[in-house]
Amino acid sequence: MKTGTLVLAVALLAYPFVLYDHFYWDIGVGLLLAAISASAWNIVGGYAGQVSVGHAMFFGIGAYVPLLVFNLWQLPPIAGAPLAVALSLVLAVVIGLPTFRLRGHYFSMATIAVAELIRIFIGTWDFVGAAIGLQGPAVGRGWWDLTFRSELPYYYIFLVVLAVLLYVTRAVEKSRFGYYLRAIKAGERAARSLGVPVQQTKLKALLLSAVFTSIAGSLYSIKTGFIDPESGFGILISVQMVIVAALGGAGTLYGPLVGALILVPAQTATNTWFGGGGSGLTYILYGGIILVLARFEPGGLHELWQRLAPRLRRTPRAA
Amino acid sequence: MLLEADDVTMAFGSFRAVSGASLALDEGEIIGLIGPNGAGKSTFFNCLAGDMVPTGGRIVFAGADMTRASPEAHARAGIGRTFQVPTTFEDMTILENVMVGAFLRHPRRADAHEHARRIVEMTGLKDQAGQRARTLGTPGRKRLEIARVLATGPRLMLLDEALAGLTPAELQQAIALVRQIHATGVTLVIVEHIMEVIMTLTQRVLVFNQGHVIASGKPDAVVKETAVIEAYLGHGRRKRRP
Ligand SMILES: Nc1ncnc2c1ncn2[C@@H]1O[C@H](COP(=O)(O)OP(=O)(O)OP(=O)(O)O)[C@@H](O)[C@H]1O
Ligand SMILES: [Mg+2]
Repeated sequence: MKTGTLVLAVALLAYPFVLYDHFYWDIGVGLLLAAISASAWNIVGGYAGQVSVGHAMFFGIGAYVPLLVFNLWQLPPIAGAPLAVALSLVLAVVIGLPTFRLRGHYFSMATIAVAELIRIFIGTWDFVGAAIGLQGPAVGRGWWDLTFRSELPYYYIFLVVLAVLLYVTRAVEKSRFGYYLRAIKAGERAARSLGVPVQQTKLKALLLSAVFTSIAGSLYSIKTGFIDPESGFGILISVQMVIVAALGGAGTLYGPLVGALILVPAQTATNTWFGGGGSGLTYILYGGIILVLARFEPGGLHELWQRLAPRLRRTPRAA
Repeated sequence: MLLEADDVTMAFGSFRAVSGASLALDEGEIIGLIGPNGAGKSTFFNCLAGDMVPTGGRIVFAGADMTRASPEAHARAGIGRTFQVPTTFEDMTILENVMVGAFLRHPRRADAHEHARRIVEMTGLKDQAGQRARTLGTPGRKRLEIARVLATGPRLMLLDEALAGLTPAELQQAIALVRQIHATGVTLVIVEHIMEVIMTLTQRVLVFNQGHVIASGKPDAVVKETAVIEAYLGHGRRKRRP
């Protein structure tokens, strides 16, 4: 496992120099962003099994606030990121408190509904640019605006954030909190009988998840210098997090990263081959992945690997 | 007095699954709860463990009123229970299952791990400690349920048919395990259909029928009572749920 981590780290560090081209750098940045978002979702959706289908609400807040503070007060966009985190935390409490009291799918349904309501509301609110959205600084006034012409600096900034997030996730995995999350996913009634404060633990997971999802949104809008309701709060943003995590293996450390490594290049490829009609194809791709996962391997590639690895290891010796 | 359940009633609509049941337990006792299928034994456990809030009556544990407290508060107070249908965490290993329980009194991972390792050894699950719970059969799962609860450091353990479905050899091991747990000072209430378990383990027996406690006393005396024979043994041959 240690060597696997090392190989992965070296590969990600070296990638932009191995494939030294803007086209590949752009894919790399998109891949890292998808991995960060899905890993953030994974804390509450994967480990705790509380499937949010509305994480775009945190992503969107994270994306909007930096460009908003720039437009209002000409502050560097990054200054809005902490404010976005604070707002995301408030929203997480508002959603988590009432729904985590209940069992079943109330949380999932509440997240979809709230995310969509926010998207529609933002689309009509002139203060945040309504349907047009917001723009960041056209030309950077200094390094603190984080407007680089090359993708390369973004790639490494995103990589650092992903590393921090995975480190935090690993620490969660090893702590009482992490064991409690997995116990809740496996069975709330049994968990409670063993003294697990279920509601409080789920809420903590949602808060931690919201923080990093919000940061992912901020990274996105600071890099692109532009945000509108669809790219911030759109349902595809939420669904992508679920699919990327589920594909690699929800509730595992590297599942979301593996999912992003496969899905993002696949998405780029389909969009390149089939031309501009990208978003329709995206729906088809996502739908197909959901069907295959649900039918054949709900545990994702991680689970598949767990089952196949011992056999693959045994075969050469037997042959 | 460790536990005092007074006039506990649990009604689902107009149906009373438990109807005015009372139970007083001293620290260190080991008692049996018997009765036909559907008598209300598991429902009574659910009330004692905080899984259900009784619609009537009062439950006091170690001097504190627990009637409306949450299941996690019950666990913290020292009431542990197993479930009739095992609820082991299927994708976690046996050791991890036990660690979830151990974390209640040992917040640090290293301590919880150490404590869980001891419990796993004591309950005879050491050889399977690294396997996922889903690989266990029903007897293994029931044993894991006991181990997990034991790891929470309970003062009172409620075992709901935790010894059902075992082979004669497994049953003897399980009886020995319960004795060992009792010897460490844990008070126990055991729901069991197997009379051998009740006769060999318990000091006192309560008989449930249609939500009522219809008899109580020393095991051999209770079993002789006609009402019990009619209510319990008369239906005893009915097919049982697992
Ligand atoms: N949540 C519930 N809602 C409605 N009825 C219930 C509920 N839980 C239990 N009952 C009913 O209450 C009665 C008592 O059930 P309970 O499970 O307590 O019996 P038991 O004595 O444990 O039986 P067994 O020996 O089969 O385990 C049954 O008739 C059952 O159908
Ligand atoms: Mg029962």
